[in-house]
Amino acid sequence: MSKGRIRNNVRTLRFHRSEMTQQELAEKVGVTRQTVIAIEGDKYSPSLEVAFRIAHAFKVPLEEVFQYESSDP
Amino acid sequence: MDLSYQEKSILGSLLAMVLVYGYYFANALRHAGESEFGGGGIGRLIFAVIAIIVIQIVYHIILALDSKPEPKDERDVLIECKAYRNGYFALATGAFLVIGGVIMAVLARDAAPTRIIVTPFLIVNLVLLFMVLAELVKLLTQLFYYRRGLR
Repeated sequence: MSKGRIRNNVRTLRFHRSEMTQQELAEKVGVTRQTVIAIEGDKYSPSLEVAFRIAHAFKVPLEEVFQYESSDP
Repeated sequence: MDLSYQEKSILGSLLAMVLVYGYYFANALRHAGESEFGGGGIGRLIFAVIAIIVIQIVYHIILALDSKPEPKDERDVLIECKAYRNGYFALATGAFLVIGGVIMAVLARDAAPTRIIVTPFLIVNLVLLFMVLAELVKLLTQLFYYRRGLR
């Protein structure tokens, strides 16, 4: 099975929400600020539940926050 | 280097373990000739355990005053799970080595006179050594994943 990569637009979406801070997003979602930093830096792919909570915090569909990039040609 | 509360907590535990058990095993090496695990050996072991607990409590009080403690979230739990897995492998490997070593030493002693003597002191310290190594593997794994990330 080929391994894909999950990208996200969390940083951009925060910027468009009048520069919401990482701490504010972390509190809304129920994770630590360190986890928000790791997600933004593509160092951590959150669980489906946290991914939905992030999308809900920005009031956008899930696909607008996270995109799956397949490594298949 | 910007360290999170969890990373600082792990670093403190790591340092405490290296210092206290480093001192303990350096002492144990000096008494390696003892055949029985007597009062002195037990005393040193109890001292090491109490020292670890005291250092950890004091360090974590200072850490809590310095930076706000953060509750663990799913990423912390996932990293902890991976760390426990690696620690378990280290502990299991150590257990097999001790069991194998004791069997080999007993077989060698029965076959021919040998200088290798399996004493309670040796067995207790070998088991303790692998327990400490397993904990170090766990802590280092956590630090590794906090720095590198889970991709």
